[in-house]
Amino acid sequence: MTAATNYHWFISSLPHMPRSFDVEHVPISGIRLQERLRMLGDDDKVIVEQVQRFLLWDRQQPERTDEDVQMEYDRLMSSVSNPLVRDIITYRMDVRTITSALRRRRLGLEPPTAVGQYVDHIREHWIHSDFRLQREHPWISGVREALDASKPLSVERQLLNATWDRWVKLSDGFYFSFETILLYLARWEIVDRWTRLDESAGRQKFENLLAQTMASGGGIK
Amino acid sequence: MESFILLLGWAGVFLPTAFGAIGSIIGCGRAGQAASGALLDVESGYGRLVGSSALPSSQTIYGIVVTMQFNRAVSLDSAPGLFSIGLLVGLALLFSAIVQGSCCAAAINTTKSKPEVFGLAIAPAAIVEGFAVFAFIFALIVGGSIPGGTAG
Repeated sequence: MTAATNYHWFISSLPHMPRSFDVEHVPISGIRLQERLRMLGDDDKVIVEQVQRFLLWDRQQPERTDEDVQMEYDRLMSSVSNPLVRDIITYRMDVRTITSALRRRRLGLEPPTAVGQYVDHIREHWIHSDFRLQREHPWISGVREALDASKPLSVERQLLNATWDRWVKLSDGFYFSFETILLYLARWEIVDRWTRLDESAGRQKFENLLAQTMASGGGIK
Repeated sequence: MESFILLLGWAGVFLPTAFGAIGSIIGCGRAGQAASGALLDVESGYGRLVGSSALPSSQTIYGIVVTMQFNRAVSLDSAPGLFSIGLLVGLALLFSAIVQGSCCAAAINTTKSKPEVFGLAIAPAAIVEGFAVFAFIFALIVGGSIPGGTAG
């Protein structure tokens, strides 16, 4: 017999997620979150680990070939049965594919052969600025403009914003259920990613200022 | 057949208490679990959180009062009325307690980070309570016309 999760207890024990991911700190530290997740029931733990593994894979940005992404997508889809987890994976893969297509077109390359429901659609509508996906993905035009203006932070912000909105919208239908926990984790991951981006941007700014000060600081005694 | 009808009559006498208690158990359990979880995330106001989880207990009290009102010598004349009204008011108490428990759990979850909205957050639970009171009062009124009204 496997232990079951007490959802009312678990969800009430988590701090509220902020309205926006653009905050200074995550609502709960990674270590404390992991401690709480250990209180989940055995079956739920397995699914949460799948989600966390995917989100970690998704946030790492090494040079991946389309074949690597395809392999990971196939592996995930064959091992994951929870509909919400599949939805989370599919959406993130779609965002990845569309962003990749925008980047490749900007560089004058061929359409991507990556994964997801839009691969053929993008190929068909390669000449359209938004691949005729603006209605389903309203963020495309903003991201395209930010890419054209070489503003990587703006691109990241808009992509995270679109994903955040998607998770918020999905979480509207759930209150004290396992899905609430999954969507909490998905949103926590965005806040964590953004706060770390902010932190590294801040550190870079500080180092630049320090370098400038050192360069012009010959008169300091 | 007569025994079966009398059996239903006796069941009708006790159903309000039984269903009210089952609803209160589930409702208070849900709200209590939410309160326990919230204790990990707040620094004060513990009493209010735990106290609000007890709201769904009132349905058991309403059930007991209806049972006391229905308690009489069950006859073939009174059994159908006792069973119908007892079952229906019992169901109303059962569901209202469960839903009220969920409302309390949501209010507890909201209150932990915005204590100032406690009054508003608990309002849905109070509204649900109102419907339980309607069912309770009308069970007493309608139950008054069941034959054999004096306690047996």
